[in-house]
Amino acid sequence: MKKILVVDDEESIRYLYKEELEEEGFAVEVAKGGEEALEKVPLFKPDLVTLDIKMPGMNGIETLKRIRDLDRQIPIIMCSAYGEYKQDLTTWASDAYIVKCADLTELKTTIRRLLGLV
Amino acid sequence: MSGHPEAFDLLKSIIHLSNSAIPIKAKLDQMLQTISEAFGSDQCLFLRREKIVENGFLSRVASQTEPFWADKESPFSGEEIHPEEKDLLRPTFACIPLYDETIFQGILYIGFSEKQQLSSQEIDLLVLVAKEMGEAVRNAHLLQKMEQTSSELATLHEMGKVVTSTLKLEELLESIVRTGLKILKAKGGVLRILDRKTKELKVKWSLGDYHENPLDEKIAKRVVFTRTPFLLNHFSKGNTILSIVCAPLLSKEGSFGTLGFYDKETDPSKFDERDFQLLLTMANQMSCAIENAVTHYETSKMVDEHKKRVGQLSILWELNKALLTTVNFERILQITLTAITVGAGLGFNRAMLFMLNERNRSLNGTMAVGPDNAEEAGKIWNYLSQEKEETLSDLIAQILPSSTSNSILNHKVKGIQVPLEQEQCILSRTVLEGKSFNVLFPQVDQEGVRTRCERGCLLSSAASCPIGEHLSRDPTVYSFATVPLRGKGKVIGVILVDNLYNRNLITDEHIQILSMFSSQAGLAIENALLYRNLEEVHQTLKDTQTFLVHQEKMAALGELSATVAHEIRNPLVSIGGFARRLYRTIPDEAPEKRYTQTIMIEVSRMEEILNNLLNYTRDESLVLKEVDLQDILEESLSMVSEKFDEREIELVKEYAEELPKVIGDHQQLKQVFFNLFINAYQAMSGKGRLSLRVHPVSRNGASFIRVEVEDTGSGIDPENLYNIFNPFYSTKESGLGLGLPLIYKIITSHRGQIEVDNHPGEGVTFIITLPVAPLREGKMREVDQ
Repeated sequence: MKKILVVDDEESIRYLYKEELEEEGFAVEVAKGGEEALEKVPLFKPDLVTLDIKMPGMNGIETLKRIRDLDRQIPIIMCSAYGEYKQDLTTWASDAYIVKCADLTELKTTIRRLLGLV
Repeated sequence: MSGHPEAFDLLKSIIHLSNSAIPIKAKLDQMLQTISEAFGSDQCLFLRREKIVENGFLSRVASQTEPFWADKESPFSGEEIHPEEKDLLRPTFACIPLYDETIFQGILYIGFSEKQQLSSQEIDLLVLVAKEMGEAVRNAHLLQKMEQTSSELATLHEMGKVVTSTLKLEELLESIVRTGLKILKAKGGVLRILDRKTKELKVKWSLGDYHENPLDEKIAKRVVFTRTPFLLNHFSKGNTILSIVCAPLLSKEGSFGTLGFYDKETDPSKFDERDFQLLLTMANQMSCAIENAVTHYETSKMVDEHKKRVGQLSILWELNKALLTTVNFERILQITLTAITVGAGLGFNRAMLFMLNERNRSLNGTMAVGPDNAEEAGKIWNYLSQEKEETLSDLIAQILPSSTSNSILNHKVKGIQVPLEQEQCILSRTVLEGKSFNVLFPQVDQEGVRTRCERGCLLSSAASCPIGEHLSRDPTVYSFATVPLRGKGKVIGVILVDNLYNRNLITDEHIQILSMFSSQAGLAIENALLYRNLEEVHQTLKDTQTFLVHQEKMAALGELSATVAHEIRNPLVSIGGFARRLYRTIPDEAPEKRYTQTIMIEVSRMEEILNNLLNYTRDESLVLKEVDLQDILEESLSMVSEKFDEREIELVKEYAEELPKVIGDHQQLKQVFFNLFINAYQAMSGKGRLSLRVHPVSRNGASFIRVEVEDTGSGIDPENLYNIFNPFYSTKESGLGLGLPLIYKIITSHRGQIEVDNHPGEGVTFIITLPVAPLREGKMREVDQ
C-alpha cells in the first residue's frame, strides 16, 4: 500500500484529503505544518507528499526545500489556494502544482500518475 | 462891360464855376467862355506854366508879377516875340500872371480884335477873376493829390482787410498777390516762402508765369538772403522781364520770403519810387499776416495730426478693451477682424486671417470678415449710414458668435492653405520677411513685389491659387495689403485686408495703424492659443488623473480581492469536498442527494468566480509576440459559437487585405475578444447581427489595427456608460462584472485603446485599436516585459 503524507495547516483540508485518499486505497498520514512534516518524513517514509504553501511557521516552499534535502526522490505535489507560484515551483522543485479545488479529481489523477499507478 | 451889376454877375458865375464839381479842364473852359462873353473878347485863354516858351514875351510877363496890358502901339521889341506867340498879339490884349503863393501857375490871356480901352475897374475885375481861376487850378491839384493819397489809403485798407480776412494760408497768399497786382498795376506777381526745414525758397503763389524765369528766382534769393528790397527797370527787349520790384518778408527772426511784382502795365513799363514804397509798406504789413497764417496752418496741421492720432489710439484702446473681455480664440479673431472692417474701426472692406502652422510650415485660412458680394456691401453701408454713430466697442458687443461662420467668404478662406515654401506668395513673404506689403493692381514691379505668380494668382501664390480667385473678380483695379501678426517675438500669422468694393486706396498710414492693431491682436491671439493649449493640457491632466485614480482603485481592489479569494478558497475546498463525499453516500432516491448536489454546484460556481477574480487581479506577465489578429479573432469566434445557436445570429465579417501583425499576448487577446463576443451575444439575447470589421489605420504618423465589434442589441444605458470598465459593475443578472474591466486592462497593457460607440436601443460598437508591430528584418522575436 502506497503511503501519502498530507501537509496542510487547515484541519478540515487534512481531514478531507485523508478520507478521500484512504478511500482510494492509500495509507495517509497528516502533518499540520512544515516542522511536523520534516519529523514525519523519516519515520513514516511516505511515497508521496502533498504540501500546502501558505502555512504558519515554516511555509510550504521552505518545507519543500528541506524535504528535498532529506530525500531527493520523493514526489511532492504543491497544493495551494494561490495560482501564482505554479510557474516557478513546477520548473525547479516540485513535481506538480495544483490549485486547490473542491473537486479532487485532478489531485487524485496526479497522484496516480506520479506513483506510476496508471 | 458897362457897370457893376455885370461885374457882379461875372464874379458870381466864376465863383460858382470854381466851386462846381466838374473836372478842372471843363471848369477852366467854361470860366474862359464866361470871361470872354462878359468882356466881349475874341480870345480868352489860360496858358499853363508848361506851355509858356522860355525867353518869349509871355515868360517876361510871368516873371513880372503884374498884369500886363497892351495894344498895337505897345512898345514890343520884335525879338522878344516868339513865332508861336505872334497870334496872341492882338490889337488889344491883357495877360494876368497867376501865382499860388509864390509859385507861378500860368497866365490868363484875353485878346480883342479891335482896339479897346479897359477901365481900371475892368482890369481889377480881370485880376480878381484870374485869382479865382488860379484858386480853382490849385484846388484841382490838391484834389488830385488828395485822391491819390486816399486811393493809397484805400489800398492799405484793402490790404488790411486781406490781412484780417482769413487765416487760410492759400487764400491769404492769393489775396496778397492779387491786391499787390492791382495796387502796383503790375502784370504778374510771385510770392515765395522759405521752408523752415529745408531752407528752400518755394513759390507759394504766382500770377503770371514770371516764377518760371530763372532771373526771378535769382533775384528772390538775393532779396531774401540780403533782406534788402530790390527795384529794377530793365529796358532790354531781349529779356522777358522788363521791370521788377521785390521786397523781403521780414519777421523777428529774419526774412522768411519774398513778394515780387513784374512789368507795370504802363508803357514804358517802369516802377517808380512810389510803387517801391508801396510794395515795402505792403510787404511789412503782410509779413506779419503771412507769418501768422503759416503758424496757424502748421498748428492746424498739427491739430489734425493729433486728432488722427487720438482717433487711432482710441480705436486701439477700444480694441484692447474688447480683447480683454475674452480668452476665447474664435471670439478674439472675430473681434479683431470686425474692428478692422467696421467704419468706427479701420474701415477696410474685408479682412482675412491666416494662422501659421509651424508643424507643417503652412498658412491656414482661419477666419474672414466682410461682405460676400457688392450687393451685400451696399446694404451694409446703407444700413450703417442710417444708424447713429456707434463706437467700436458698441459694435463689437453686438457681434454674434455665429455671424462670421455663415459667410461664404469665411468658408472660402477657411479652405485656403498656402505652404510657406511658396516663397513668391505675398502671404508667405509677409511671414518669412516679417514685414507688411501694400499692393495695388495694376502695379509696376516695385520693391520686388511680383505682380502675379505663374498661375495667375494676384497674391503670387502658386498653391492652386484659391486666394487670388476669391479675392478679386476684377483684377484690373484692386489693392490689398498684408501685415504680419506678431506674437511674442515671432510671427504667428498674417492679416490680409482689401477694399474690393469701394476701391479706396490703402495708404501707408493705414498700414501703420493696421500694424499697431495687429501687434496688439497678435498678443491676444497668442494668449488665447496658449489658453486653449492650457485647457487641452488641463483636460489631459484631468483624464490622466481620473485614469490613475481608476488604476489605483483597481490595484487596491485587486489586492483586497486576492486576499479574500485565497482565504475563501480553503473553506470552499472543504465544503465542496465533503459535499461530494456526502453525495456519493446518499442513495439516489433520498431528497438529501439533491441538497448536497446544490451545495456542490454552488461551490463550483463560487470557485469559478474566484478564478475570474484572480485572473483580473493577478498581475500576470504578458507573453508578447508578433501575433496575427485574424487568427485570434477566428479562434475566439469559434469558442463563442459553440455556446450559441448560430442560426439565430447573422455574422458579418470584414477583414482588410494584408493585415499587419500586432505585438501581443495571444492568450490574453483571445480572452478579450472572447469576452466581447460573449457580451454581444448576450446583449442580443441570442438573436441579431454581429459585425466584425478589421482595418489598418494611421494616427499621428503611427500605424494601428482597428477592430470594430458591433451588435444589434439593446445598447448600454447612458447612465451606466461611465461604469462599464469598472470591476464588479454588472447589469447582467449573472456575472461578476469583470468582463469589460478585464478587456480594458488587457488592451491598455497592450498600449491599445478601447472606445465605445453606444446607441441605446439600437446596439453598441466596441472599437479596439492596437499598435502594429514595427517592421523588422529577420525572424520574429519574443519580447518579455
